[in-house]
Amino acid sequence: MSSDFPPYISTQLHYLLNHFPDKLKIENVWSGSKHYSVTLDRFTLVIPYCLDTIKWDIIYNLEFPLAAPDVIFGPDDEDFHRFLMMPGEGDRDSRSRAEFAMSDWNNKDPTRLLALIKELRDQYAAYQRWRAGEIDDDRLKFEISTIMTREGIEMQIISGADKTEEVKFGVPLMHMNINKLVSACPWRHPQKIYLQVIYPVARKYASAPSAPRLKLMSPPELKALFSIDDVKLPSWLDGMCMAEYLPNLEESLGKQVFEAVTLIDFRRSFIEALAPLFGRPLEADPVFCRKATFLATSGPFAFLVYFLLSTQFPKQQPVLMLQSTQHFQSQGVPIKSALLSDYPWSPRWEVSQMAERIFEFLVDEALNFKRYCNESQLQH
Amino acid sequence: MERAEGASSGGGEGARYVLKPAPLNNEDIIFCVDVDAESLVEMKTTGADGKPVTRLDAIKQAILLFVNAKLAINPDHRFAFATLSKSVSWLRKEFSSNVESAISALRVLVATSPPSGQADITNLFRLAAHEAKKSHAQDRILRVILIYCRSSVKPQFQSPVNQKLFTMDVMYLHDKPGPDNCPQEVYDALVETLEHVSEHEGYIYENGKGLARVLFRHMSVLLAHPQQRCSQEYMDAVIPKPLTKKAPITESGNGKGRSPVSSQ
Repeated sequence: MSSDFPPYISTQLHYLLNHFPDKLKIENVWSGSKHYSVTLDRFTLVIPYCLDTIKWDIIYNLEFPLAAPDVIFGPDDEDFHRFLMMPGEGDRDSRSRAEFAMSDWNNKDPTRLLALIKELRDQYAAYQRWRAGEIDDDRLKFEISTIMTREGIEMQIISGADKTEEVKFGVPLMHMNINKLVSACPWRHPQKIYLQVIYPVARKYASAPSAPRLKLMSPPELKALFSIDDVKLPSWLDGMCMAEYLPNLEESLGKQVFEAVTLIDFRRSFIEALAPLFGRPLEADPVFCRKATFLATSGPFAFLVYFLLSTQFPKQQPVLMLQSTQHFQSQGVPIKSALLSDYPWSPRWEVSQMAERIFEFLVDEALNFKRYCNESQLQH
Repeated sequence: MERAEGASSGGGEGARYVLKPAPLNNEDIIFCVDVDAESLVEMKTTGADGKPVTRLDAIKQAILLFVNAKLAINPDHRFAFATLSKSVSWLRKEFSSNVESAISALRVLVATSPPSGQADITNLFRLAAHEAKKSHAQDRILRVILIYCRSSVKPQFQSPVNQKLFTMDVMYLHDKPGPDNCPQEVYDALVETLEHVSEHEGYIYENGKGLARVLFRHMSVLLAHPQQRCSQEYMDAVIPKPLTKKAPITESGNGKGRSPVSSQ
């Protein structure tokens, strides 16, 4: 894709994508020029903000390569332009925020696009804070004032049902470095868990303010270690505020994350306990120990055995799957068994006993599977 | 008893398997299939409908088995395809983790005729080295699986600048040894090539009896991730394990020239 951009744009774009602290995506690319329509000079950038994304169109102009690109914001953010035209805080030379962001533009410097986007995103966060501050709702004002000291909070005005206004907060939880807890951690970005808090804006003379909607959120990579769906949120008591709610939640979450980390090594020891019975695995997940695959035989019949371990192992038993190396369906797909999770199990067994009991189960199941494969082939 | 290094290459003989925390990269795998006339030799096994099955038919099936299983282990592994007749050229050079892509590439895989005479694999190493650099840039590792079918022609190559950038495995299908052929010499040449070139432990299997299910079983062993391999000798001694009641410790080898031990 980027090979269709002229070098000065693609260099800046590559630098941006590789160095921006969050994961950015490009959604659309196109050309603004009628004459050079094969060469691209525009794209839509998808930027993470407040646990969701915002989309900005970045408009370079092939006919004016030295000029800084224009940035077009989303349709809900028309006011952002106005905000950018206002003078920056503490800015001695009273340039507008926009002018400040665009200054020092140099199309030969690979880092300028990243600097521009970073500055604009910071301004966008300031804009949302400013808008939230303008809302006439005492509870909201109180909440904002008590949590503003927390690092990394982002907020956003959104429209709820019935076109009512709501204020969404993205609150990063626990300043622990989860990545450091995982040996040989493959994650490129720090994995963080967030609490999304959505407050409806109180209408005047309304009855007692309702509790905010709460939801835990985390990047998908974290699922390999820990599933936020397994977390039960403490209840929000009447009259609570975030400053009271958050510490309990963080303490509980911290414990659960630590426990999830210790479970990695328990899964590891289970996979190692399978080897004497099932042979050396063809491949096993060495970081999170969620999967292991073996090759086994039942008489002359050779088949693959897949072990899938959830983050709830050993409470939840492994899911097994068998796949023939000799029987194929249409399109050459080797026949697979159903997912097997209904066999004798106790989380209190030693790993060696877990392995032995699964082995016994599979000795019989392999015969069933072989029969199933032979019958499926005959039906062809 | 010494603790073995289960997760690093070349270790782990004779002691307990250990799964060490270590990075495991996704693979880019190039299948290089010998499409010389000898790939049309019939296997001993016939198809489900009783019709004869050529080596090339069995190879295609074996590749599909491999691709499906590899993606079940990890959907981020990717595959590309090349052919060998007189020399090596691309069949499908874009790596894809899509099974349909493999199916469509294999559909256009056809044998050449007449016999190619020579088997120059210089280009295989050249394009593998080139792809390996791209793979490494994406945090992946490259593997080449050469599937070779000639009983009298040794593969040749101009000695490459050997940087051991990729792993190489070989699957060798051949006729029974006789006065008019030299599969043992060819096999030895393949072993030497593999050892010369392969970054991680490379595996080689030979199939001279024409049994498709043995080919499939060997292809399954090749699923082993290069970064977690032990020596082939040890691997063949410990897998596949028979699932029988009160599992005895059996040795069933079928690797470099050792005859299988017992009653299976």
